[in-house]
This record gives sequence, structure tokens and C-alpha cells, in this order.
Amino acid sequence: MVNPDELLAATEFPDQTDRQHAAPGTQPFVFTGSGSEYFRIWIVNLLFTIVTLGIYSAWAKVRKTRYFYDNTVLAGASFDYHGSPVSILRGRVVALFFFGAYNIAFMISDAAGFAALALLGAAIPWLIWKSLQFKLYNSSYRGIRFGFGGTAGKVYLTYLVLPLATVLTAYLLAPFTHQRIKKFQHDHSRYGSTSFSFHASAGSFYKAYLIAFAIALGGMVAIGLAFGGTFVAIIKAGGPREAGPVAVGTIAIFLLVVYAWLFSLLPLFLTLIQNLIWNNTRLGNHRFTSRMRVGKMAFIAVTNMIGIVATLGLFIPFAQIRTMKYRIESMTIVPSGSLDDFIAGVQENASATGEGAADLLDFDLSL
Amino acid sequence: MTNADAIVAALYFDGKSSRRHSVTLTVREQVAVVSGDIRRECAIRDLRVSERFRNARRKVTFPDGAYLEILDPAAFDALLARTGYQDSFVVRMQQSWRGTLAAFAVTAAILVLGYLYGLPAAANFAAKTLPVNVERMIGRETLSFLDKRMLSPSTLPPARQQAIAGRFRNLVTPAEGAPSYEIVFRKSRIGPNAFALPSGHIVLTDELVHLVDNNDAVMAVLAHELGHLHERHLTRRLIQGSMIGAAAMLLFGDVSSVIANIPTVMLDLKYSRDAEREADDYAIAMLNKNGISVSALIHVFEALEKEQGDHSPYLSSHPPASERIARIRGAR
Repeated sequence: MVNPDELLAATEFPDQTDRQHAAPGTQPFVFTGSGSEYFRIWIVNLLFTIVTLGIYSAWAKVRKTRYFYDNTVLAGASFDYHGSPVSILRGRVVALFFFGAYNIAFMISDAAGFAALALLGAAIPWLIWKSLQFKLYNSSYRGIRFGFGGTAGKVYLTYLVLPLATVLTAYLLAPFTHQRIKKFQHDHSRYGSTSFSFHASAGSFYKAYLIAFAIALGGMVAIGLAFGGTFVAIIKAGGPREAGPVAVGTIAIFLLVVYAWLFSLLPLFLTLIQNLIWNNTRLGNHRFTSRMRVGKMAFIAVTNMIGIVATLGLFIPFAQIRTMKYRIESMTIVPSGSLDDFIAGVQENASATGEGAADLLDFDLSL
Repeated sequence: MTNADAIVAALYFDGKSSRRHSVTLTVREQVAVVSGDIRRECAIRDLRVSERFRNARRKVTFPDGAYLEILDPAAFDALLARTGYQDSFVVRMQQSWRGTLAAFAVTAAILVLGYLYGLPAAANFAAKTLPVNVERMIGRETLSFLDKRMLSPSTLPPARQQAIAGRFRNLVTPAEGAPSYEIVFRKSRIGPNAFALPSGHIVLTDELVHLVDNNDAVMAVLAHELGHLHERHLTRRLIQGSMIGAAAMLLFGDVSSVIANIPTVMLDLKYSRDAEREADDYAIAMLNKNGISVSALIHVFEALEKEQGDHSPYLSSHPPASERIARIRGAR
């Protein structure tokens, strides 16, 4: 028989003896999922989803999420997902109805289209809110559930008023709106009875956007300079056909490089934002760190894309695991005390926030 | 390891605090017994056991939210075997390579057959079941939109317009039940073209009439467009396109919407070309039935190819002109 204490030793905090005063060491998030194992889950999920014309997708989502959660380990314990497939299916039917109605309405007439757009605009913030509540309420760590509060007023301000203002200001408000959305999400999340809080300023979001923009621009200039000579030669020769096959090949490489660059911009930007968000999020007095590197993430994104295209999609589950592993393992929690002292708090205010698990719908809007 | 009595090391979390408790788990007469830091008993039928993954610890969850994280997987497997626990069908399928390979083969077969036969047949059925009025409603505003952006009034003499429309109306259609249509003449800003709208309008541009410069050839063009209307190609393409889009989002949407759009565009091309071939066949049948030589249709393609080369916007989503001409020659 295995002695539990021996197995535990590997996961203990370094300074168990004096946990009242000294902060225990930084705890990394560990992801133990493997691409070949997830591939099997993915392909079986896909088969049943197709055979049942999409109905199984709700069960598939639960099995996929459980795989990711079970394989995410922090301080010697893993996460768990409790979402019910039937609730997820109901949510998907509602979402399908809204988006279907919206798509058909514009074919009928512009008036019907705009009416559907207004309806969608009014519904989406509410759907996002319920979806956040569903996702967090159905996630747990060490047997304690996460939760999400918030008020309808804040939801509509964050997901309707601010996005509209962003469009009206030609997207100058975009970093500010992004900061408010993340602040809303993190400030109203909780783990048991302990609240998360968010401390990144709007200014820091503007800075991240500017850095991303500068990198994007710098890359384009560098590509332009690298290929500029060929283009001048082509123009002088009077056209690509006259300049010969080498010039045509160079143009093809140029297009490929531009495409790869544009494709790696989004993961690059998300890297900056994930670091910004998690380095400024706290759970009670515990801090998080996120140390993703832009170059590494861009490499993962581009090689994933090549893999997916070259295998006609079979690489997708491997790509998802690679990305997930890098994102999760870039994170740590810096505890200010013991991680043993969280108390479940959801039970008391479940009714106050309307979080009856069975009544919630998951709309699965990945944001 | 002595698993005669199968004692399993585990962590226990009570669901009320994040505190961890070292325990052991055994099963006696269908009752799970937890002992160690915590003592607790529960009938095993009330417990939920999580799926077995390669690296993840398995969880045993109690009805009240408390759970165990298993530290000793081998002893736990022995315990499960002893209590007669069996994984669900789906789990067993994915845990064997044979099951996974079978799932892969069946999925690939369904996708390919569905794309080649299933979806076109279903879209055809749906389009032909849908009343014409609904289709007309969908395309009602397209012509006024095009009139604002790309088309202007025709400069063909009214007598020529009436002669074309009158002659075409007197032709016999190859199959019963041709839908009502209206030929509209327009001057085009996008070069020689002819197209059918879901509203039942067949738009014929002055540029195309001048280009082919042959009455039989104009009849061939109109017959081809009537073929699109009669076969309900627009509704079929709409249904097929949205189904492919939905399937692509399902398959690739998690990863990237850029990647998800690639198959939509590429796979739709085949459907577009199939529709053109069907409309060509319709036109050939219609010309034959009315004693017009099918060389009229060949003339149209040759004229278009000569005018615009291979890069014609009219031909890009269509089969190559040479292939279409060869087909018509074959049908003759």
C-alpha cells in the first residue's frame, strides 16, 4: 500500500511549519493534458456530434472541459467542472434561435434586420452575464465552487453602452472598454466566499495596445524593407512576368510572410493582454503572475496553423493542448497565506444572485 | 502492492473549505468507507467517479459536493474492478486505439459522403419544398440594391428588348413547372454578364447582348439562367453554404475563424460549378427542344473567354469554358 504522506510530500508548501507568518512559496499552475490523449476524446466527440446533428455537442463540451480541468493542477489539487449537458444544450438552442433569426431577418428586409439587431443588442449582454455565472458556478477547485455576481446595470453598461461608445469614437475607446470588461469580469468573480479583484488601469491597456500596434507596424516595415529591392526590380522590369520566375517566387514568399505575420499578431496581442490581466488580478490577498513570452506564443500559433492546414484539421486537438499548456504553465499564484483557508460561500448567497444551478443556461460565448 | 483488501490513498476535500485531508478509501459491501483524517461512509451508487485520464488524478464525488482525489491509481483501478464498476460506452471507445480509429474512419466517411451526396440532396429537397413565394421574399430587395450600385437603365432599343423577351417566352421549357420570371435589361458597370435573382428576375446586360451579337446565343444565355431558377440553385447554394459554414465553425471554430473560413470558400466552389453544369444541361435541353443548335451556347462561352480571358469574374466560380464547351459537344 502506498503511504499517502509520501505522496503528499511532493505537493506540500515549502514552509508548512510557519504558515501563519511567512508567505508560502509561489505555486505554479501545471497542465498535464497530452495531445494524443485529447485527440481520442476530440475525435469521438466529433463523431457523436455529427451523428446526432449537433445535439451531442453539449455532452462533448462537458467531456472536453472536464479533460482540461482535471489536468490543470495547482498546489497538488486539480480543478473540476460540474456543468450539466442538458443546461448547455438548452443554452445552445436559445443562442441558435437568436443568431438564426438575426441572419434571416436581413434577408427579408432591412427593417426586420435592424429590429433583429436591436433585439440581439439587448439580449447579448444578458446572455454573456448568465454565461459567466454558469461557467464560474460550475467550476470548482478543492471542492469549492467559483461564482459570479454583478448587476444588470453594470452588465448593460459594460457590454452595450461602452461597446457602442467605442464604435462611435472610431475605436479610440477600445482599450478603455477592454479594461472595463476585464474589470467587470474579475471584480465580480469569486472563489467560495473570497472575491477576485482587478487592478490594471485603463492607461496600462492603452500602453499594451500601443505596444502591439508598434510591433505590428515594425514587422510590416521590416518585411517591406526585406522585399523592397525585389519590388523595385520588378517595377523597373515593367511587371512580374518580365522580371522572371525568381521575382514571381519572391512575391509568393512575400505574401506567405505577410500572412504568417498577420496571423501571429492576434496571439501576440493576447499574450500581452493575458500577462497584463493576470499580473494585476488578486484573489483576496493572493496574487497571480503570468509570464507568457510573445515570441514563444507567436511560434506556437504559426506552427499550429501550419500543422492544422497540413493535416486537414487532424492536428487541432494537439494544437489546443499545446496552446493551453503554454498559457496555463505560464501562470503562478503567489499566496499571501495558506491556500487551505478558503471557505465555501456560494450556498448562502445563491438565491440572492439567482444562481440556481439548474436554471442557468450556458451560452458558450467565448470572449 | 497488496490489494487483497484494496485500500486506496486519497485526499479528501469536504466542499466547505479548501483544507486538504489525508484519507484512505475502501469498499465494504457496496459502501465506500473513508478513514484517516476524516471518517465517512457512503453507498457507492451515490458516488460519481471521474473518467480515467493518463496523467490526471481521478475524483470520487459525494452527493454533497465533497470529493476525493485519488493518489494511488493502481489500487483504485483494482478497487473499481472488484466493485464491478464499468466505464460508459463512449469512454471505452475513446480509450482503445481501435475504437478511436473506427471513430475517425466513420467521421471522415460521413463528412466526405455528406459533402458529395447528402448535403446537395438535402438542400435540393429543402429548396423544392420551400414555396417559391418565400424564395422571392428573400431576394426581393437585391435588384434595387444592384440598380443603385452596379446597374443603370438599358440603352438597347425597346423593339430589340421586346423581340428578345417575346422570342424567349415562346420557347418550350425542357421540364414542366418552370417558375414565373421576368427578363430585365440593364446596362452594366461590371462588363458582360447575365444572372438570375431569387426574386425571379433574369438580368441581361447590354454588354452581353452586344458581345454575343447573335439572337440564338441570347436565347442560350436566358435558357441557362432560367435553368438556375427552375432548379432552385440560389436557395440550394444558400442552404449548402450555411451548412458548410456551420460545420466548419464546429470543426475549426475553436482554433481560429480564419482557418474556419478557408473550407467554406473552397468547398463552396464545387457546388457553384455543379450548379453551372446543371444550368448548362438545362439550356442544352431547352435549345434542343426548340430546334436551336447548341452551338449557340458554345458561341456564348467562346465569346466570353475571348473577351475576358481566364480571369473573367463571370467564369471564375464556373467550370473552365473549354470544359463546358467539350461537355456541350458531348451532349450533342
